[in-house]
Amino acid sequence: MKTKLNLIDKRILNRLQKDIPFVKRPWKAVAGELNLKEDLLLKRIGLLKKKGLIRRISAGFDPRRIGFASTLAAIKTGPRDIDKVAKKINAYPEVTHNYGRVPLFREKGRGRDSEYNLWFTLVAKDKKRISQIVKLVRKYDDIKGILELPAVKLFKIDVNFKV
Amino acid sequence: MFSKLDKAIVSLISQDIPLVKEPFRDLALKLGIEEEALLKRIKYYKRSGLMRKFSASLNHRKVGFKHNVMAVWNIPERLINKAGNLTASFPEVSHCYERKKTRDWNYNLYSMIHSRSRKGCLDVVRDISKKIECKDYKVLFSSREYKKSAGRYF
Repeated sequence: MKTKLNLIDKRILNRLQKDIPFVKRPWKAVAGELNLKEDLLLKRIGLLKKKGLIRRISAGFDPRRIGFASTLAAIKTGPRDIDKVAKKINAYPEVTHNYGRVPLFREKGRGRDSEYNLWFTLVAKDKKRISQIVKLVRKYDDIKGILELPAVKLFKIDVNFKV
Repeated sequence: MFSKLDKAIVSLISQDIPLVKEPFRDLALKLGIEEEALLKRIKYYKRSGLMRKFSASLNHRKVGFKHNVMAVWNIPERLINKAGNLTASFPEVSHCYERKKTRDWNYNLYSMIHSRSRKGCLDVVRDISKKIECKDYKVLFSSREYKKSAGRYF
């Protein structure tokens, strides 16, 4: 859907990518910052959600700090099988993100089948569960390779789009 | 340190909160606790770094950032911190991690780059490459989003 954003929507979207205030009436506080009425702000947010520009308003935790394990994983699968394989992987609730990716340049002597073309992240209750899922995925018929790439160090995580 | 109540709170606020004037009141009611107590716990999660951000997640394509790439770099171990910090300093980079190299995938620095155009993404990759003095990298464009959700906890 093509959406033309007005200036108010843009200001709302930029503001809402930062922490909401942890007070009884957070929207009243945000409305004050943006010089809007609370009712109007709520209405605009509702519309932005309905149009799908805002996916959700929620708290994001550091999985490891709250005792969970996480990893990035990638698999090689044929371009014809990728949709089917992606769907199968999505069935695990521990899969939070899953993207098809294509390299800018293909490596010499490598065909389309030999690229890591499906990349997903797992957040699970412990490392054991992650290994278990990786092991299960590895057994899929249509997979020619799998990478398990847990983070060693976090340098940055800040998703903030200036709209 | 993490009580049964904390688990219930984390699980609840990791998902979309109700769009009402007093969302924390609704959430507290659901949890069977006082609104004040809930706000206190949320402030504690933030202060201690357990919670990164309590904010809106946008559909980046719909707000104009239609293109994103994952660029991965092969950095010598002794330079990884410097290269990681430099890469993280780019505003177009949303995520930057060190990950272990593997036999079949000889890259250890990972960056997600967002832009309004394909060229914009590649310009950033080129600028990072210059800044961190690394030419051994691979660029992957995202071709399809199969899933993007909040983490499910407890």
